[in-house]
Amino acid sequence: MPAHQSHPRANSSSAASGKKDGAERVANQPIKVRLKHVLIGTICLPVVILLGAWIGFFNVGASTGHWKVTSLFLDLAMRSAVRTYALTVNAPKTLDRRGLAAAAGHFARGCAICHGAPGELRSPAVLRMLPQPPDLRLTVADWTDAQLFRIIKHGIRFTGMPAWPARDRDDEVWAMVAFLRELPKLDANGFRALSGESTGADREPAAPAELAECTRCHGSDGRGRGDLVPALAGQKQDYLFASLQAFASGDRTSGFMALPVTGIDPAAMAALAKHFAAQPPTSVDRDQIAATTIKNGQQIAQAGIPQRNVPACSSCHNGPGRNPIYPRLDGQHAAYLEEQLKLFRSEGRGGTRYWRIMATAAQRLTDDDIRAVSAYFSSRSESPQ
Amino acid sequence: MLSTAILSLLVGCALLFPANGGIWVATDVQHQPAAAVKPSAVATVATIGTAPSPEAPAGSEQAPDTGLSLFLRNGCGACHTIRGTEAGGTIGPDLSHVGSRRAIGAGVLPNTEEAIADFIARPDLMKPGVKMPAFDMLPKAEIHKIARYLKALQ
Repeated sequence: MPAHQSHPRANSSSAASGKKDGAERVANQPIKVRLKHVLIGTICLPVVILLGAWIGFFNVGASTGHWKVTSLFLDLAMRSAVRTYALTVNAPKTLDRRGLAAAAGHFARGCAICHGAPGELRSPAVLRMLPQPPDLRLTVADWTDAQLFRIIKHGIRFTGMPAWPARDRDDEVWAMVAFLRELPKLDANGFRALSGESTGADREPAAPAELAECTRCHGSDGRGRGDLVPALAGQKQDYLFASLQAFASGDRTSGFMALPVTGIDPAAMAALAKHFAAQPPTSVDRDQIAATTIKNGQQIAQAGIPQRNVPACSSCHNGPGRNPIYPRLDGQHAAYLEEQLKLFRSEGRGGTRYWRIMATAAQRLTDDDIRAVSAYFSSRSESPQ
Repeated sequence: MLSTAILSLLVGCALLFPANGGIWVATDVQHQPAAAVKPSAVATVATIGTAPSPEAPAGSEQAPDTGLSLFLRNGCGACHTIRGTEAGGTIGPDLSHVGSRRAIGAGVLPNTEEAIADFIARPDLMKPGVKMPAFDMLPKAEIHKIARYLKALQ
């Protein structure tokens, strides 16, 4: 250290100190050599690894599994990352159970193939995946709600676990978390009932094959199983068809809908829209809602809130001769309407090519307005004829 | 004189809509598969068919789209008033005499049919911060029909 401090003086003062300077350099030499080796090593190591990968040194076969140490490392890295990233997730105190049926239907269609379901044996091919997808009935208790949310929403790299198909649909991901909490309690019959498995007996011969996927969540009567699943019975056919197309093209975001609509041809979509539009609309079961709330909703629906530039809902959604792509709202589930209005408000919903009109209106609504107007439309049960 | 006659015809067909409600829905359902597959194409064909007399009264069940019916169908009446029709919104300007205004869009556009159509499609381009949403998802022919109808409101 003292020698270092004298360095500037040595340069500026006299030639006599030049000798001392040389001695210093010799003393420093071993350090310089080691630095050089480290440098060469850091440059060469990636090259060697790349060369190894190029000549095919690393075995990617799944037949023997990971080395024990690799497997321990990957498991540690995965668990730690999920734990850390889940810290940013705001989990609700109690999980909303109104989307259970839809989540169960999605699980049966999209998740059970790898994770298995109560009463169903998994394919031996799935069991030989590396890593083997866990049986969630046994492992779901290892995770907190926030951690499950993180895994379902973002997936896990290197494992085959995909991310949620739709961004901005945290409501659907939370519905999945609520369902996973329910899963260990379900036996085969309970699971089949909750996921709306079609028995095949109630299948109409003329109906398209895809119908079974729809009725899983929307019910064979088209009334929607669970308050967050929309009733389709008696909905306008053009609206149903345009919405199916919007789901298929990604213009309307939903993980639950993305799965069943993928790969359906337009003719089948038109047939499905026709099927549900022709079903008789029935009023949905609804919670007891205060009469004053419904009255406030009626005021907004029929007259809007002019001082806040909210137009009257009924100018587009009720009355004869309206645009057939503007949906009918009468008798719809209040919880579904609330959720959709909030998605419109945050511009996270998308929809048919008219969705921005609704987003403009929804952005002028408060939470209370949304609750009131959803309750009002849900309470209306006149048929569209 | 002529415009008064046309207006009274329009009011007449507006009143016919509630009466024909049931039939309207029924014809809609019949035509839906075709309309659903290619709504814009069907709309265009319909427009070409009725182009010579766009303001024709809607007496039969095959009612052609009039400017007013399109105005009401797409929900314009939620914000705008046109006296003598069911459009009674108070959020946007009263359009009862919009055709006789000297300029539109806070004075930036001349009051022509073309300018009204442009404004309906993208009001935000003419008038930044405007409360009205864009209606450029409507078929061009429908926008022009609405614009023609509005321009005729003297």
